[in-house]
Amino acid sequence: MTGPADGGGAVDPPSGAAATRHRIVDAAYACMARDGIAAATVEGIAREAGVSRATVYRAFPGGRDELATAAVTAGVTQFLDGLRADIGDAPDLATMLERGLVAGRHRLDEHAVLQRALHDEPDQIVPLLATVLPLVLAVLRTDLADRLEHEHLQPGVVPAEAADLLARLVVSMIGNAGSWDTDDPVAVRDLVRGHLLAGVVAR
Amino acid sequence: MRRIRAIVSAVTGATVTPTEAPGARAPGGPATTVDAWAAGYLGADDAERRLVEAAERCIVRWGIRKTSLDDIAREASVSRATVYRVFPGGKERVVEGVLCHVVGRFFHELEAELVAAPTLDELLAVGIGALLREAVDNPVLPSLLEREPDLVLPHFAFHQFDRIFALADAVTRPHLERFVAPAAVRPAAELLVRCVLSFAFQPVDWLDPHDDVAVRRLVTTYLVPALTGLDPDRPSTRWENRT
Repeated sequence: MTGPADGGGAVDPPSGAAATRHRIVDAAYACMARDGIAAATVEGIAREAGVSRATVYRAFPGGRDELATAAVTAGVTQFLDGLRADIGDAPDLATMLERGLVAGRHRLDEHAVLQRALHDEPDQIVPLLATVLPLVLAVLRTDLADRLEHEHLQPGVVPAEAADLLARLVVSMIGNAGSWDTDDPVAVRDLVRGHLLAGVVAR
Repeated sequence: MRRIRAIVSAVTGATVTPTEAPGARAPGGPATTVDAWAAGYLGADDAERRLVEAAERCIVRWGIRKTSLDDIAREASVSRATVYRVFPGGKERVVEGVLCHVVGRFFHELEAELVAAPTLDELLAVGIGALLREAVDNPVLPSLLEREPDLVLPHFAFHQFDRIFALADAVTRPHLERFVAPAAVRPAAELLVRCVLSFAFQPVDWLDPHDDVAVRRLVTTYLVPALTGLDPDRPSTRWENRT
């Protein structure tokens, strides 16, 4: 089974300790995706990775909890990498947000592993996602801040603040679009240009 | 008690039947969600209030799971039998009472200031500032998040926002309708509750809730333009079609 830590293949395969870590995270993800988060054990993950229990604990002294966080982090990282690829080379901030919201909604809806965890084990998966949220916000904030530098901003807008606020709103909108129909390109345009960016980008 | 349970159901995400839904106007009953919350808070008798406040202190100290009915009785200096007389449902009902009490007290104390706000900027500054300060100053939420995230956080997962948005609409509508078109209230309420919950769960140094200037800058620079940018005449948005 291909795990989320495999990345896009553009990077050189890691070696030694890094490779072992990588394999264990993939195994943790595979076990949790297959058996559920609560049911995954260090023994099972070690077996899946083809290493000893001691090797797992050497790489992840925090045991099961640390493995769960690492597996969710790997899944979220893969999600964000995919999202970046979907967005591609957007000509401006508004286009970037439009593409990101549409692609993010689709990716989340179609993420079978996540959807099953949300349905079957919300008490397990939601706190884990909350743990990873600062990482997600940091990634989006950085991407958005880069873009904001090239935009003509409304008076009073501080790019770092606007990037933070937009990152939060994008995460929230991908999670639940509320009353916005993200399958309708005109609605997405209104949402991004007339609503989310109304206070940020000068028109 | 029925009213309290309906309110708490809305807050905690438990099933709300349509007739019990907060905001649903029962004959002679409270007209709005906020009225219902405030009524639940103000309508509590002394025994109920004393128990709920004792339970609130216990929960902050030990968390929900580790607080027993005996702890609550001892903290309130009453017998276990008294707790059961006031809350026949036991601990679960007392915990609901605490949530109802906290929310009711908050909105009761804020209501007059919201009604008096002369502009959208002022309304949002007052409301958002108070909500963000409550999130850090009231020890219930931080202590529960620290100790029992598995009990709290699932109520804020992706699909749960359907319920949160409906609640935000009901709570903000009477105030927002003074400044935005009725059809734009729903998306406006959604944006505001996204912001408030995000900053409440994940504070950031540029927005200190106790810094009135910072809160007003957030409102004036970013939120008011977003709300006034909503065009209720555009037929393409689902929110317009739904209203």
